[in-house]
Formats: sequence, C-alpha cells, structure tokens
Amino acid sequence: MLRVEHLSKSFGGVRATRDVSIDFPDGSLTAIIGPNGAGKTTFFNLISGHIRPDAGRVLFDGADLVGLSSLEVVRRGMTRAFQVASLFPTLTVEEALAAAVASRRRQSWRVLARFPLPDARARVEEVMELMGLSGQARVLSRNLSHGDQKLLDIGLALALEPKVLLLDEPTAGMGPDERWRMIGRVQRLWELKRMTVLFIEHDMDIVFRIAQAVHVLKYGAVLAQGTPDEIRRNPDVIDAYLGTDHQLSAAFGEA
Amino acid sequence: MNLEALAACVASASCAVTQVSTGLIVGTLLFLVAAGLSLIFGVLGVINFAHGAFYMLGAYFAFSAYTLTGSFLAALAAGALGVAAVGVAFERLIMSRVYGRDLLMQLLVCYAVILILDDGVKILYGGEYRLMGMPEAFAAPPVEVAGGFIPAYYLFMVGMALAAGLALWLGINRTRTGKIVRALAINPQMVGALGINTTLLYAGVFGLGSLLAGVAGALAAPIRTLTPGMGLSILIESFIVTVIGGMGSIAGAFLAALLIGFTRAFGAIGFPLFVDGTMFAIMALVLMLKPSGLLGREAA
Amino acid sequence: MRRPGLLRPGLLRDALAGLALLAVLLVLPLLFPQPALRDFLIYTIAYGLLAMSLNLLVGLTGLVSFGHAAYFASGAYAFGLLMQSGRVSLPLAMLAAVAGTALLALVIGAICVRLKAIYFSFITLAFQMFIHSVILTWVSLTGGDQGLRGGIPRPPFLGLDLGQAGTLYGVCAVLFVACLGIMRQVTQSPFGYSLRLIRDNPARAAFLGLDVLRMKLGIFVLAGAMASVGGIILALFVSGAYPEFGFWTTSGEAIFMIMLGGTQLFLGPLVGALLLQTLNHYVTVYTEHHGLVLGTVILVIVLGLRRGVADFVHEHLGERRAARAASARAASAPTASARAEAARGPGEVRLDGVRKGTT
Repeated sequence: MLRVEHLSKSFGGVRATRDVSIDFPDGSLTAIIGPNGAGKTTFFNLISGHIRPDAGRVLFDGADLVGLSSLEVVRRGMTRAFQVASLFPTLTVEEALAAAVASRRRQSWRVLARFPLPDARARVEEVMELMGLSGQARVLSRNLSHGDQKLLDIGLALALEPKVLLLDEPTAGMGPDERWRMIGRVQRLWELKRMTVLFIEHDMDIVFRIAQAVHVLKYGAVLAQGTPDEIRRNPDVIDAYLGTDHQLSAAFGEA
Repeated sequence: MNLEALAACVASASCAVTQVSTGLIVGTLLFLVAAGLSLIFGVLGVINFAHGAFYMLGAYFAFSAYTLTGSFLAALAAGALGVAAVGVAFERLIMSRVYGRDLLMQLLVCYAVILILDDGVKILYGGEYRLMGMPEAFAAPPVEVAGGFIPAYYLFMVGMALAAGLALWLGINRTRTGKIVRALAINPQMVGALGINTTLLYAGVFGLGSLLAGVAGALAAPIRTLTPGMGLSILIESFIVTVIGGMGSIAGAFLAALLIGFTRAFGAIGFPLFVDGTMFAIMALVLMLKPSGLLGREAA
Repeated sequence: MRRPGLLRPGLLRDALAGLALLAVLLVLPLLFPQPALRDFLIYTIAYGLLAMSLNLLVGLTGLVSFGHAAYFASGAYAFGLLMQSGRVSLPLAMLAAVAGTALLALVIGAICVRLKAIYFSFITLAFQMFIHSVILTWVSLTGGDQGLRGGIPRPPFLGLDLGQAGTLYGVCAVLFVACLGIMRQVTQSPFGYSLRLIRDNPARAAFLGLDVLRMKLGIFVLAGAMASVGGIILALFVSGAYPEFGFWTTSGEAIFMIMLGGTQLFLGPLVGALLLQTLNHYVTVYTEHHGLVLGTVILVIVLGLRRGVADFVHEHLGERRAARAASARAASAPTASARAEAARGPGEVRLDGVRKGTT
C-alpha cells in the first residue's frame, strides 16, 4: 500500500535523503532508526507532502503522492504526529479532537450546526480512551503534561482515521517508565486498528521489542533493513552505532 | 484613459525626459522611505506603521529650520537628525515595550503615535497647507536634455538618494557593524551572547531607518505641499515598494521604487484615474508569482 | 462533574440572550426618550458591528486586519447609491450592498490571506487606502471628499416608515441583533472551531486536513459582509456616506475597540465600541485635539496595563479566584496549582496564534 521508490532530497549541498526505496506492507509496524542527522525526519517530511523530493516516487494506494500538498496527503489517509507535540494551545482536549473528527468527516465548513457535532462524540471518546486522555477531556491543551501532549498529538492524527500513521519519535523527551507506557499505547493502537504504522525511535530496546521491520538510515541512505533480529546482528549497523552513541551500543551489546 | 497621449509622450523626447525626471523624483522619495521601513523590518522584525508620520516630521522640521536659518543645509540636517532622534525615542520608550507582544499591540501603539504626531503638527503649524519654497541655491535654470527640462534640484535629489542608498548598502554589506546588524536580524540571542549590546543596536537601526524617512521628508519639503497626514500615502506606497522589491532587500526597494515612480509619472498622462489601481495590480501580480518579492529571500 | 455529553443547549441560550439584548435596546429609548441617547446607541450599534466583525478575524482566526473599515464604507456607499438611484426597494438595496461588499472582500481577501501576520495587516491597510482613494477620486459617483450627499431616501417598506426616528432605530436594532446572532452562530459552529485551530496553529491545522487559505478567505468575506451592515446602518442614520467611513483611522479605532473590550469574549468588542463612543463623546466636547487625546489614552492603556481593559479585568478576577482556590486546597498541592493555571487561562492565551505569527 505504501511504497517509496528512489526518493532523494538535497538542501543546498547537503544530501539529506539519498535514493531511498522502502516497501511498507499493509498493516505493518515499522521502525525507522538511525544516528542523529540520518535524515529520518526529512524522510517523514518527504512522504507526508511537507517537503517536495528532488526525485523519486511515493506510491500510496497505487497513486504517486509527490507534488501533492500535505492537505491532500492527509485526505488520502496518511497522517502524522510530530517530534515536538504540535497542538492547539487554547482548545481543550475534547474540542481539538472533535474539530479533527469534523475535518475527517468534511464537516469543518458547517456553519449552521453547533460545535461539537453530536455524532462526533463516540469517535472523540474512543480516541481519548485509546490514548488514555479520558480524564483530561476538559483540560486546555497547553496545560497538559509533556507526555499527555504527545498523546494528544497522536490522538489528533488518529482522529482522522488514517490508513498510514507516521509517528516522529513518540517517546521523545520522556522518562523510561513513560516511554514504555507510550509505546505500549502505540502497540495496542496498532493491534486494534490494524493500520500501517511507521515510527522513528532512538531507544533500541523499544525498537527491538515491538517493531516488525526495522529500516536503518545513515547519511540519508538506507544502511540496512530487516527484522529486529537481522538488524541486531547486522555488522554495518553495529559499526554505524558503535562509537557514535554509547547508550545505543550498550543496547546492541546486550543482544 | 488616454493611451494616445501616453504614446505621443513616449515618442517625443522632451516629454519623455520630463516624465522620466518626474518618475525619478517620485522613485527617489519612495526609495528613501521604503529603505528605512525595510531596514527596520529586516532587523527588528516589526513594521513601523508610524514611518510615514516620520517622513512628515522630516518635512516640517526642514521647513522650520529653513524658515529660521534660510539655509537648506540646516533644513536637511534638521530633518534627518531630528527625525532620527524621534525614531530612537520612539523605539526606546514605546516600541521596545511591545516587541514580541500581540501584533494588535504593535499596531495600536503605531496608530496612537500617528494620531499624536499628526495632531501635534496641526497644533504647531496649523492644519492648512504649507509651502517651503525652493531654496536659492537651486534657483539655477533647469537643465535642458533633448528638449526636456530637468530642474537642478531634481538632480540634487537623485544624487542624494543614490548616495544614501550606496552608503546604506556598503554599510550593511562591507562593514563590521553591518555584519553584526545582519547577524542580529538572523539570530539576536547569539549576537547578545557574544557580548554585543543588542539594545543599543536595535535603537541604532531604528534611528537609522527613521533618519532615512527624515531625509526623504526634508528633500520633499521644497517640492511638496506640507500638510498633517501627508505621511500616509507615502507609507502605503513604500509598503507596496517593499512588497514588490522584497522585504529586507535594499536593491529590491530601489528597483521597485523606480518602477512605481515611472508608473506614476507616465500613468499620470496615460491613465490618470488608474494609477493607484495599476500599482496595486503590480503588487498583486508580484505576490501571486513571487511572494517574496523581486529580490527578496524566500519564505516571506 | 461531567456535563451530559458534548451536546449543549447553547443555541437556546444564545437565542434567549439575543432576544433579551433586543428588548433592552428597544426599551432603553422608551425609558430615556432623549434623542441624544438614541443617536448614541445607533452609533454604537454601527461601530459595534464594525468591531465585532473585525474580531471574527482578529480574535477568532488570528488575522489582524488593519483595513476593515473598507467594507464598512463599501456597505454605506453601495447602499446609499442604490437608494439614490431610486430603482430598488430598501431591503433589496441592503442585500445588494452586503452582497457587493462580500464580493469586494472576496477579491481583496484572495490576495491578502496568503500573507502572514504583519504583512497581512499592512496589505489590508493598503487595500483600504486604495478603496479610500477611489472614493475620493471618483467624484462623479461618490461626491469625492464632500461625501455622498443629497440625502438617502427612506421609502417605507412593509408598512415601516423609516422617516420616523423611532422606527428607524427599531429597524437598526433588529438588524444589529440579527447580525450578532449570525456571528455568534458562526463562532460556535464547526467552522468557528476550525478557525480556532487555524489561529492557534495553522501548520498543524493543515495537517489535520483543513484548507487553511480557503477557510481564512471564508471568514474574511463573512467579516466584510457583517461590517457592511454596520456601514449601511450608519448611512441610513446620517442619510449619507463619507470618505471617513473608509479612512484608516476608522480601522484603527475598530482595532482599539477590540483591544478595549477584549478579543476572547464574544461581546467584548461591543463593550469596546461603547467605551470608545463614550470617550469620543467627551473628548470632542472638551477639546478639538481629538487625535492627541485619543493617542495618549491608547499609549497609556497599551503601555500601562500592557493588555486590553477587559482582559485586564478578566485576568485580575481570574488570579484572585485562583489564589483563593490555591489556599483552599493547599493540601493537595499539584491539583491546586494545575487548577490555578487553568483559571488564569483566557487572559494569557489571548492571541497565542497571533503572537506565534509575529515572532
């Protein structure tokens, strides 16, 4: 359903993405890893229509997404959450979610009805339930804790009922316990909804525990791809990580 | 609408020369005002809506100094330095307090200052039109070029504007201070961290931008009627110039100011009622095709 | 604790509030029959519509327009000219003036909404001055700087004789409340909440599938149309239209009204209009230096209070409430401080989207 072919992008002289080709099977849970500056976020920006690639194709449901605005990409069923939670500070959790649901149902232009639309309620409650935000329904987004903000960010993407969900470091800035709680939610979500989930992650424990497939980016190119076990044993990957990040090498060492 | 007259004028050397010189004058004043507006915006990230009122002040300061001393040099100095001082005071006392606040607040303080300055001028000079008259130094007969006449003062004005533009460009691109100012526009925290007094620089840049408006006002004083509120139309036009030329680009402002100047000069013959409309059409066109302006950097 | 679901009885409450406001407006002149009060109220209604419609852009969408008076003037002139032509009935002239203004706002807005933050402010101002200069130069149609004179005929319609001051006032009050109803409905609709998303975080709104530019344009057109009703009411009342309606100072005053009354309370701008009308009334009585006084007042408020009067009061009350809550719940510290933060809300959030745009 989602396939990327020969994707390339340069900024000035820097080649942020080099000839990346990846196939994401329907309903897969895939991790994108790589050292800092490997071009992971750029990769997400390219497939979500945020940045236009210099070359290559992004095939989604058989159609090429390159050149479409992020708006059109969203409407075709690919949504994303951000590394730094990108929220609506003055809206409450349930308001923001209800507005997202309205957008999904093409009801955002309705002026004669009252917000929120009654038929959005079930969906809003479901998303809050999934993300564990039911208790915070009436809290302003900007007053949420860091972890809850990340959850709401994902919840907003989820409210659009995506076929493909891109999560840019869902656990960024979290403590160890919080990380596991977050990733547990992501996994449960994926199991329940059976959508295609791509996530960028730094914590190797998490990656190896939950991902079905792992793609390693380095200097914008695919260094390796495979199952967690294959990646764990791949000498190139170990090379790439050794010496660059001790914590990560430690993770490999345990394996 | 009289396009035949326009064609006839362009074909006749004398008429063309006269209109070109008129266009140059309009463009000159616009360039000076727009360069100041653009400089302040480029470095401080605020648009000084009171910039047109500063132009007006420049004209009135020059008028007063000229009436008192009879020297045009004194008039020019009064316009330039007087407005620079007002600009620095405005930045320190008022504008600096609303940096980073709601846009609404920035607009409001500018609105308030325009009201106060316009009314202040009305109280001091009266509400009716004032004429300063041409200084004697420029009483020389107009220069004849290909049958058209160009007043000596026009040549002086264009020379002044070119000199000011060149000095500004050199100052920003070729001096150490200019380098710091450019860095300030991109990363103020970093400049501050290097131990450079950013507060002083901000005030300085604001003063310099205001000085340009003051010079324009003083230069305009001999050839324009002075009236409270005279700054508004030039504010709008200089905004159009900066949009067409690209915010923050001195060279772009120069090009666009000439474009608007010639549009005004020749439009006055060919389509007098649609001159304003043409200016807006050009601006709209530029915004559609290249939103960052002719010579502006991307991401406006 | 939780309200019964997401559905609120908001529509009913708003309708009742609207009727109550209409009743107050209609009863006031009966209680105090001085013509001066009626005049004052009509001015407040007209400028209140200008300010409230502007707040659809400023407070709801985060678009600080500095040229909103253009649509006020366009409504007044279009209506006046249609009535002077003598070819259309009064209600039809009103509708046509509103529709014409909406079209004008559509054309201008299509260009303006592409620009961000301060560019948007400036370009709206520029277009307004363009409209103003058209009014001044097209003397044969508009009467130039003399304004549209010769009176605007008020032929009776539906048995209403607008020549009578009381009837005129009543019709204006009904129009006004109807417009408030429309604006209230829009702010409380899914569209209104989509605009809040755009105000708070336009980039993210686009990633939620909202067509940001078109939605901005939509509210720009609606705000222009609502402002034109204000212009129509004023033209009807003064029986003429003047270039000052479309001058930049009128836009500036509208912005000041919003700031006085606050951007986040629905009726805030109306309160601001009332305050500014009162201020203007006394200033013009005591001094001819209107600009000097008004300018000084604005500076004192902006630099002194550092925020709008209504927001100041609101915030002040919120802080006191929060302090009480905090001391009452000193035992359960974390929840109390969270609550205090929540209570401080609106004053601080005010225009987050706008602030974002400026930095």
